[in-house]
Amino acid sequence: MSIIGNNIPRLESQDKVTGRAKYTADYARPGMLHARLVTSPLAHARIKRIDASAASLAPGVQAVITGESCAHLYGQLLEDRPLLAIGKVRHYGEALAVVVANSEAEAFAAANLVTVELEPLPVVNTIRDALQPGAPLLHEQQALYAHYIPGVRPEPGTNVAHRAQVRKGDLASAWQQSDVTIDCRVQLPQADHAAMETRVALVEISPSGQVTVQAASQGPFFLQKIISHVFGLEMSQVVVKTGLVGGAFGGKATATAELLAYLASKAVGGKLVKLAYTREQDIITAPGHIGMEAEIKLGATREGKLLAADLLYLTTCGAYTDSSPTMAQAIAASCTGPYNVPNVSCDSLLVYTNHPYTTAFRGFGHEVMTFAIERAMDKLAVALQLDPLELRLRNAIRPGDISPSYEHLNASLVGDLPTCLQKMRSLIGWQSGQVVPTADGKLRAKSVACFWKTSSSPVNAISGVILTMNKDGSINLNSGVVEIGQATKTVLAQILAEKLKLPINRIHVVMPVDTEVSPEHWKTVASKSTYMAGRALLRAAETLIGELRNVASQALRVPPEELDVAGGKVYAVADPTVNIDFADIAHGYKYDNGNSIGGQLMARGSFIMPRLTPLDPETGKGRSGPAWTVGCQAVEVEYDPQNFTYQVLQAATVVDLGKALNPQNARAVLTGGMCMGLGLATREELTFDPEGIVQNAQLRTYKLMRFGEHPQYLVEFVETPQLDAPFGQRGIAEHGILAIPAAVAGALSVAAGVDFDQLPILPETIWQAKTGGEA
Amino acid sequence: MIPLDFAYYRPDSIAEAVELWSQLAAAGKQPLYYSGGSELVTLARINQLVTQAVIDLKGIPECRRLEQQADQLLIGSAVNITQLVESNCFPLLSASAGRIADHTSRGSITLGGNLCGSFYYREAALALLVAESQVVIAGQQGLRTEPLLQVFDQRMQLLPGEFLVQVQTDRRMTELPYRAAKKTRQDYVGYPLVSVAMLRDGGRLRLAVSGLLAYPFRSAAVEQALNAIDLSSEQRIEQATAALPGPILGDAESSAGYRQFVWRGLLSEALTWLGEE
Repeated sequence: MSIIGNNIPRLESQDKVTGRAKYTADYARPGMLHARLVTSPLAHARIKRIDASAASLAPGVQAVITGESCAHLYGQLLEDRPLLAIGKVRHYGEALAVVVANSEAEAFAAANLVTVELEPLPVVNTIRDALQPGAPLLHEQQALYAHYIPGVRPEPGTNVAHRAQVRKGDLASAWQQSDVTIDCRVQLPQADHAAMETRVALVEISPSGQVTVQAASQGPFFLQKIISHVFGLEMSQVVVKTGLVGGAFGGKATATAELLAYLASKAVGGKLVKLAYTREQDIITAPGHIGMEAEIKLGATREGKLLAADLLYLTTCGAYTDSSPTMAQAIAASCTGPYNVPNVSCDSLLVYTNHPYTTAFRGFGHEVMTFAIERAMDKLAVALQLDPLELRLRNAIRPGDISPSYEHLNASLVGDLPTCLQKMRSLIGWQSGQVVPTADGKLRAKSVACFWKTSSSPVNAISGVILTMNKDGSINLNSGVVEIGQATKTVLAQILAEKLKLPINRIHVVMPVDTEVSPEHWKTVASKSTYMAGRALLRAAETLIGELRNVASQALRVPPEELDVAGGKVYAVADPTVNIDFADIAHGYKYDNGNSIGGQLMARGSFIMPRLTPLDPETGKGRSGPAWTVGCQAVEVEYDPQNFTYQVLQAATVVDLGKALNPQNARAVLTGGMCMGLGLATREELTFDPEGIVQNAQLRTYKLMRFGEHPQYLVEFVETPQLDAPFGQRGIAEHGILAIPAAVAGALSVAAGVDFDQLPILPETIWQAKTGGEA
Repeated sequence: MIPLDFAYYRPDSIAEAVELWSQLAAAGKQPLYYSGGSELVTLARINQLVTQAVIDLKGIPECRRLEQQADQLLIGSAVNITQLVESNCFPLLSASAGRIADHTSRGSITLGGNLCGSFYYREAALALLVAESQVVIAGQQGLRTEPLLQVFDQRMQLLPGEFLVQVQTDRRMTELPYRAAKKTRQDYVGYPLVSVAMLRDGGRLRLAVSGLLAYPFRSAAVEQALNAIDLSSEQRIEQATAALPGPILGDAESSAGYRQFVWRGLLSEALTWLGEE
């Protein structure tokens, strides 16, 4: 029986559902100290004075650190963010000081005693404000910032942090040939990852100088590198350990609490210090989701064939860039959505504002790009008087087409979007009509939207796997992938079990990651863990099979090439009764006279991203990921025209995932993505007052989808294998979120007869649009 | 995490609680009565509550009672919302208090805490206001029993050192036709933009409201307008809105204009329901 394609339950589920699984914040040790942040009450201000004298004298306090005492700048790409504000604060909630004390309560009480004198500066509260000539500058010294990784192109003297662009084809003549053109402006607010586990880290520095970091992170190896870089340490001095992570969604792929916990530990002679962000700090001090304004112009023939796209994406990273420049890049690389558009001009700008800063978020920019494009496609369908699904079908990207970054696509690279759309047609009952009145005066409305996404990893991102055999013939699988709830480690066990034809319970997956003993996996991000670690694993498995055959060959006196493995045995292909159990060779084979050969069997496999090229700054030419995952999503809403309320009844995804290695898990991951997409569409946003103060930095008021509010979720697969991926599976971990907001907006737009081009869409939004605000 | 150090007291009797309060207050401890503790925890952790002593009322038998007596329903202030809802001793109260906070929180939030706490929605008050419940209040002078309508002006008007012991409701009121409705920004769980509790008594509508203004209220003028049977529904809604005792709230949850729209929608439904009698 094949293990690939089976619904193997997640290996760590039992520990999680019984509450026995341990997360980073659960870790404690006698003598451990606690750190507490002091954060900025203003969004933009000059720091006149931070007085920590009372806090320093408070009971139990061991140290108070401010920006004065640590001049380090941090950036995943551009080093523009002080670990603690220096000179000025650039967003509400920015970390100003860290108090280290014997207990959490003492650290908290002392943090209340730190007084801060701030002189308010004019606040840049929107993307448009940021781009006004003469706008206040967030970063006066932008030109002087160092680049940890080159490629960010800040524009000194402005609030532009980065610019990426695509120039493809001949836009001028394409406009002339277009029978129909449409314009679309969309606006999306910043939002929060809202993972159950807030950011947390524990750091200690041994007397010999070894730095040990316990981190809730998607990138323990990234942390090892960045901590050694920022603080001038040897990488071998830094060890990062990551166990289970309680939700991440991209927000734990950068360094936050770890850096401050290091400073805190250093300030108290290297003692173990825990820094756990409060929920409020997790929302405003740690980075969240980018905001966007976009202007989309599309041109098409009368028959609905897209000819031209002129695209302006303005995203904001808030006060600091972190990984957002790569998102601006990713938006450019995928700027047309999954449609074949021969003539494209795209400008993707990343802009500073005095808002909490941003980092990767499930979708990595594709979720905002998709909203803009799909709203524009809906408008184009209206302008053409064409069925919106049909319009998408006519333009769906196909093998033979060329991507915005000039990539020549084939079936392995781009999958089969047309089939996804056809399947969706029946899955969501498209034939019954886009808007259908109900008996009780409501309207049921459907809308469909398409997505595509590839990764935007560094061109040289790596992954490794080490396999070691236990005496009984079972196998330890050690990979640097972090378990963040996505079940990659379960799928890796499936891949190995399949490859060795071994029952999956004979494979032990090492769940925690420890940079000291685990092989590196670049970061557990970008929906690329199964692909990268899976490839490394297949290589390791090949090597291990070779080792098993070599030793078995001597034991069985059969040439290695005549041997194969199955069921925990090595056997002769010509006569399976000639076989030997793994247990008899895993730690060496002993002849009858006691002589032994072999030793412990183990194997390694290593992988590096193949043939990736950064996008050309002028044309956008390049290759950012190994293959695309395409699909489409639809929702059905029930809208009440009397009171402008609505309910989402169904949310559906049809995705070409190449091959479902674990269908149940694939459905779960896609469903989780849809749920997040519904949250963004229907309620989630950071709200700001005119001074840039976040109004809803609490889960009382920052609302998430709850049980009882979920629609029926539908998932179907198309399987066009990605030929270089393990058993053909494409990345899907982020994709469930991508087109759901656009589908919700589309459905409500046709239901209410008003276009909704911003999120979230609340009943009040609809009321405002329908009545102009008349009670 | 609560940064405060505070002393915890759990008196067994009303007298002991009152005495403790006055001793602690005299010693400058800023004592607080509490029972569920949800507000204590959630506000102290964001520096919005300071105290050096808390007095837990859950040990006082009178505060824990939940009893249907011959002519009245008796609810102790330390009875939590889940107990109230599940007992369904007063269906309107179950309906209008049953969407306070979320399921987990309702297991700790108590009737007294919701009525006397600092969050101004106080949705548990609505059913009690329309039912014209009596409240038993303990203080230095012993117990006093007062109509809730007199003691509740935007919030419970308690003297320093007083606490709510019980709420008494006429059984007849708990059996009247009722309706509750709550509209939020979007979510099932959330603060009300408008929450109303209504009883229909001999053709008259009684109504109390939370969310619409910066405090919960029951207004004679609003009810008079709604019960003006010689007027059209539109006129009654118009006059009820004009008779509101304060400006409609506009805040991060919703604009004042949208709140008014929601309010008018609820009144329209209420009048339809009233007309069904």
